[in-house]
Amino acid sequence: MEPVILEGFDIEPDSAELSRLLGRKNGEGTGVPAAAAAGKISEAREAALEEARGLMVPRAICVTAAGADLPGSEMFTDLEKVAFCVCTIGPALEERVTALSKDGDMLAAVVLDAIGSAAAEAVACYANDRIDEAAAAEGLKASCRASPGYGGWDVKEQKALFALVPADRIGVTLTESSMMVPRKSVSFAVHIAEDPVRLRSESSCRNCDMETCPYRRIE
Amino acid sequence: MKEHLKECMQAIIDGDTERSEKLAKLTLEKGMPVLEVINKGFVAGIREVGRLWEEGELFLPELVIGADAMKMAMGILRPALEGGEGGPDRLGHVVIGTIEGDIHDIGKTLVATMLAANGFEVTDLGADVPVAKFVETAEEKGADWIAISALLTTTMPGQKKVIEQLEAKSLGNIRVMVGGAPCSAEWASEIGADGYAGDAVAAVALAKGKTG
Repeated sequence: MEPVILEGFDIEPDSAELSRLLGRKNGEGTGVPAAAAAGKISEAREAALEEARGLMVPRAICVTAAGADLPGSEMFTDLEKVAFCVCTIGPALEERVTALSKDGDMLAAVVLDAIGSAAAEAVACYANDRIDEAAAAEGLKASCRASPGYGGWDVKEQKALFALVPADRIGVTLTESSMMVPRKSVSFAVHIAEDPVRLRSESSCRNCDMETCPYRRIE
Repeated sequence: MKEHLKECMQAIIDGDTERSEKLAKLTLEKGMPVLEVINKGFVAGIREVGRLWEEGELFLPELVIGADAMKMAMGILRPALEGGEGGPDRLGHVVIGTIEGDIHDIGKTLVATMLAANGFEVTDLGADVPVAKFVETAEEKGADWIAISALLTTTMPGQKKVIEQLEAKSLGNIRVMVGGAPCSAEWASEIGADGYAGDAVAAVALAKGKTG
């Protein structure tokens, strides 16, 4: 099926996700920012959010295909209809993070980087919502998202996904090591069916054995 | 003096760069013993920042501004030590970078910042660093540690290649620490690294524990 490009929409990084990314070690502890630091941190967060708005160009590209169309992957083989999607906020934000970090402004760099991560996730959520709506219009449902490199889907299969989705049309390419450029990009797949399969566990982090992974979310 | 040391320590814990600057300048103006102020004031502060992070009491930005405040104080006090009462204990030199094929940068830079704030000399090679570059730079700088970040399972084998090259060049005395999302203590052990650091504070503890 022809790729669908989503663009010209606004996203707002999820505040809770941002707080998690800028949170305490492993989300543990009960601390609150010291009074002396709280003002400075909250100012940095507001300034970075303001700056980020001018640095993000949210875009997504989606291809609906049969699971078997993803070569070399066993995860989707038997699935009739799968939406494969690549989303990004573009390169400008991470270029700014690199510049800030080189200038030694680590606070601004760390906060802006976290905003970029939360924003890329927000683009994925936006695209996911559009897929859900399209599925609903056909009387179908979409599964929760699965992404290469997470919850048992080998990151090497990113190449197969990129062979199927012409992500270069939204400026996203893949390195030899299967890393997306720009970094603040998200790729995912959802199964669309009357009764979609569970592509990953609802609590995939809980079942993942990478206990030290900084992206681990344990509620 | 005791009160001054306490204030220096608190300025670092609070990540209060302005206060840290004022206190460092005051140390020089009043002719206080610089080394003692560094060790018992500012260094005690950054240690406490590390401890609070480990305890889950600090947020990531607080860790960052603690390191910033430390950098400010040391920038003022370090020159005063040269040719004087001698510098703080040499903690060692760390060559750090993200392995080739991997352009993740911020986590590695944060580790570099914390190592520097804790008194290590740091050479940050950036991201996408070829295996040979780690080895050559470490040899050239007489480094004690190489710290290699890898954020992808596809780039992790590069960490092993660095260790292999060190061994091939009989540079096994240079220690190696690995870090990044897919890495673990098991991985470090499997490839013959000297340790795994899950975050910036753990990297400091690891380097301190095994340097010298």
